[in-house]
Amino acid sequence: MLFYSFFKSLVGKDVVVELKNDLSICGTLHSVDQYLNIKLTDISVTDPEKYPHMNCFIRGSVVRYVQLPADEVDTQLLQDAARKEALQQKQ
Amino acid sequence: MSFLKSFPPPGPAEGLLRQQPDTEAVLNGKGLGTGTLYIAESRLSWLDGSGLGFSLEYPTISLHALSRDRSDCLGEHLYVMVNAKFEESKEPVADEEEEDSDDDVEPITEFRFVPSDKSALEAMFTAMCECQALHPDPEDEDSDDYDGEEYDVEAHEQGQGDIPTFYTYEEGLSHLTAEGQATLERLEGMLSQSVSSQYNMAGVRTEDSIRDYEDGMEVDTTPTVAGQFEDADVDH
Repeated sequence: MLFYSFFKSLVGKDVVVELKNDLSICGTLHSVDQYLNIKLTDISVTDPEKYPHMNCFIRGSVVRYVQLPADEVDTQLLQDAARKEALQQKQ
Repeated sequence: MSFLKSFPPPGPAEGLLRQQPDTEAVLNGKGLGTGTLYIAESRLSWLDGSGLGFSLEYPTISLHALSRDRSDCLGEHLYVMVNAKFEESKEPVADEEEEDSDDDVEPITEFRFVPSDKSALEAMFTAMCECQALHPDPEDEDSDDYDGEEYDVEAHEQGQGDIPTFYTYEEGLSHLTAEGQATLERLEGMLSQSVSSQYNMAGVRTEDSIRDYEDGMEVDTTPTVAGQFEDADVDH
């Protein structure tokens, strides 16, 4: 739930999604759902590939990483929030 | 293509959301002909004019996208990337290793569906998004809140964790005085009851914690190390 909210706060930002099959897709985060399925717009593929797609839906389970602009994320806050959520889950 | 099978077109029983006739299917760049694409809640299917076709299961669909590149020889189309192998001589195989396979990465198959009616592409894309959302991955045994490589709360609890890279629950606990431990226990109780209490840090006196001390519960205020808190304000 935490990362669903986290990604919602990044809607509109440019991200790079790296998939488990090594494909990397750069685009603007359009939306995310509770399963962390990701929709991107204005996408381009960062490796030399051939698809200039515009709209893309990526299944959450195939995402390995989401690369974010560093100045858009307060990593300390995110760490604290994740730790607290883990403690709450434990109880 | 021997992976093409004959089967009845999906109908309302399978949760058919949209069918798009006059749609060409292309597999890894090889055209399969023109047929009808059926976007159903249970699976994605395509059948050609003779009733032969194939189905794709949503959990195997890694991503789908609209290609708006008109200079592409196919024109605008729906692109679908599948985590399975489709070969001319074989049935579709998902995540299986082959003896002569030199790639131990996951197999990738690319499908393109090219409708003659380009204005239908948005609706096709949206219908697929809706169907994908109906097929989340099953829950793993582990909670999906942590991966094995990240901070492992359970392992630390059992004392099996590696040296943590940041401040952990057990590490902090051993450094607390009796007073601090009582504070922490009370705050943890509050934490399990309400989300808003996450802003109370252990040891920090707030309006609430001062009030709580006056409920008659005994708290040992003697410092464990003599003289440690001589200059501290112990007024509750």
